Amino acid sequence: MALRSRSRSVVMLLALAAAPLGAHPETPEARAEFDRLIAEFPNEPDLRLRRAEHRIESREFDAAESDLRHARLLAPRDPRILVAYASLALAREQPEVARQRLAVALSLAPGDPSAHILRARASARLGEAAAAHADYSAALAALPEPSPDLYLARAALPVAPELALRGLDEGIARLGPAAALVERALALELQLGRTDAALARLDALAAGAERKETFLKRRGDILAAAGRAADARVAYSRALDLIAAQPQWLRESPATAQLAAELRRLISPSR
Amino acid sequence: MLPRLVLSTAFVLTGTSVFAATTITRGPYLQIATPTSMVVRWRTDAAEISTVTYGLEREKLTAAAAKGDGTAATKIEGVLTAKAEGVSTEHIVHLKDLKPDTRYFYRVGTGLEKAPSATAEDAPGVPAINTFTTPPLVGPAKPTRIWVLGDPGTKNDTQRAVRDVYYKFTGKRATDLWLLLGDNAYPDGTDTDYQKAIFEMYPETLRTSPLWPALGNHDGKSANSITQSGVYYDIFTLPTMGQAGGVPSGTEAYYSFDHANIHFVCLDSHDTVRTADGAMLQWLKADLAATQRDWIIAYFHHPTYTKGTHDSDKDSDSGGRMNDMRAIFLPVLEAGGVDVILTGHSHVYERSPLLDGHYGKSPTFDAARHVKQKGNGRPERDGVYVKPRTRAAHAGEVSVVTGSAGHAGSKTKPPPLNHPAMIVSYNDPGSSVIDIDGLRLDLTFLNDKGEKRDWFTIQKK
Repeated sequence: MALRSRSRSVVMLLALAAAPLGAHPETPEARAEFDRLIAEFPNEPDLRLRRAEHRIESREFDAAESDLRHARLLAPRDPRILVAYASLALAREQPEVARQRLAVALSLAPGDPSAHILRARASARLGEAAAAHADYSAALAALPEPSPDLYLARAALPVAPELALRGLDEGIARLGPAAALVERALALELQLGRTDAALARLDALAAGAERKETFLKRRGDILAAAGRAADARVAYSRALDLIAAQPQWLRESPATAQLAAELRRLISPSR
Repeated sequence: MLPRLVLSTAFVLTGTSVFAATTITRGPYLQIATPTSMVVRWRTDAAEISTVTYGLEREKLTAAAAKGDGTAATKIEGVLTAKAEGVSTEHIVHLKDLKPDTRYFYRVGTGLEKAPSATAEDAPGVPAINTFTTPPLVGPAKPTRIWVLGDPGTKNDTQRAVRDVYYKFTGKRATDLWLLLGDNAYPDGTDTDYQKAIFEMYPETLRTSPLWPALGNHDGKSANSITQSGVYYDIFTLPTMGQAGGVPSGTEAYYSFDHANIHFVCLDSHDTVRTADGAMLQWLKADLAATQRDWIIAYFHHPTYTKGTHDSDKDSDSGGRMNDMRAIFLPVLEAGGVDVILTGHSHVYERSPLLDGHYGKSPTFDAARHVKQKGNGRPERDGVYVKPRTRAAHAGEVSVVTGSAGHAGSKTKPPPLNHPAMIVSYNDPGSSVIDIDGLRLDLTFLNDKGEKRDWFTIQKK
């Protein structure tokens, strides 16, 4: 059965490769070609699954469900179909249904990062932060090179800021000082009132920037907000020095001129 | 493994390639070019040590090659050998401590491999010794030629014609770098698709010019940006840590790099979170704020404005990605001083005048408010577009949809091509060429017949 199915898949894939749906499945012509192929290979679950995915994207939910139902009849133990079912449920704002499907999918394919990520999203929508955190953590552990967005999504859950920070630091350790992760960590440090830790995060961001004057301005703002006015003025002055060292065309740009004026005002408020 | 070693010994003894045991089946190709480093990649049909032999003089490299292997090469003055650890069929070697703006000769492998001349379409009889030129130092201007291919990967005669027109156009002028705007390999972005659509289609350009790709929806069928896995991510080595300039993104899905006085920003419009609080937008803001380059060119797959084979007014088209790129990303790009935005997806060529602030659907376009400078931007007619050199937010950008390097829209049911923000629209296959010389940028669209269908200039003062 498996062999027969595989040879049929080969035929189907060859047909797919030659078909104009190679252009864009979103276009009516390509969709018609997709339909024709499914008519020709009605018992091919992969085709049904692919059309369902496009239909979910096009928000044709009933049609997508029909394809998935058919695909599942053809391949009842294929976890990809259950994951697609869960995507459909999430698109329909049915997170509990999505979680049920994903529990089955994960029992068939334990550790599947895609299923864990979807289930984390479903749990987050249900307000179950701990469950979502656990699923994001499982996905992150399973992926050799995860996207920064996964770390951000986990840090955005309503969990203790210290836990969120630890998660972001884990991401920074794995991915390097990705700007989005460092920015989020900086915001959390400020939320926790840890000024020096926030400044250290800012330094990490500034390290990758050629225009450090804007980061020094932020440094000054953080120090000023923490009541360290003298330190803030030092930061503002350093920013002004850096602006003065910029090439003329950059120094005279409206944004830079505006920044310089603001820095001067912050250093000497009475002026 | 044992038979290969035996045959290798035979080669060294006889000096003939008859006994070569491995074949280069892909590449070499160049990635993450910086003034002082280059990543060289290639594939062989059998695992072996990843070795690149390189130097400044062809004659010395040839002499080293004649000795038979990389170890011998190190004994010749001025010829260096770089190796990656272990053995593999996927070879990735990082050359470091190179000189900026310098032509290097290089050879991949141990010298025993057969070149892929049987499958190379654009240069049969591949020389064993290749060349690349390192980018110039970042900052100072240097004339730069960029080849831009949107949606090329059809593997058909149209793709070949577009390619050959560019080769004829550029002649002996080297391509300093080339951009792929996504949908690089149809239909599914599989390894086999990439082999035919990219590696066997452009071998000459691949081994001489660094390639900087973006992910399209068809590439996304075999790749996943959230998990950074799949064919696209396996094939390409892209900067995640700001290695080539710019701010670290932490992912290969979107990145930036510098070349001379140009800053390039690549976004993933297909498969990365596109919300305002997503990592990509946060990174983009930081990256644009950090650059000092004269020019900023952004590229990604899904266009902000199009009435080609896709419709940017239609919410359901492409899962709303065009809306996201226009409403969420475009304001940040324009505020960050981006000069040119290159996209594909729509298999046509469409081009705007100097624009700013149009983030809605086409009925909301108001030329009086959104056009920064009218006209076609051509020196001989309406005059070039002029921008201040100073980095000013919302000084205007030109949006270019150039998604027809592999096929154009249907001739029997031509696309409407009536987006009011676009002043030039063609249902022609073709590719775009950007030349930057100091504070002047020229873009030319060449169709598959070799006709120069559009061109414009931006001059900074």
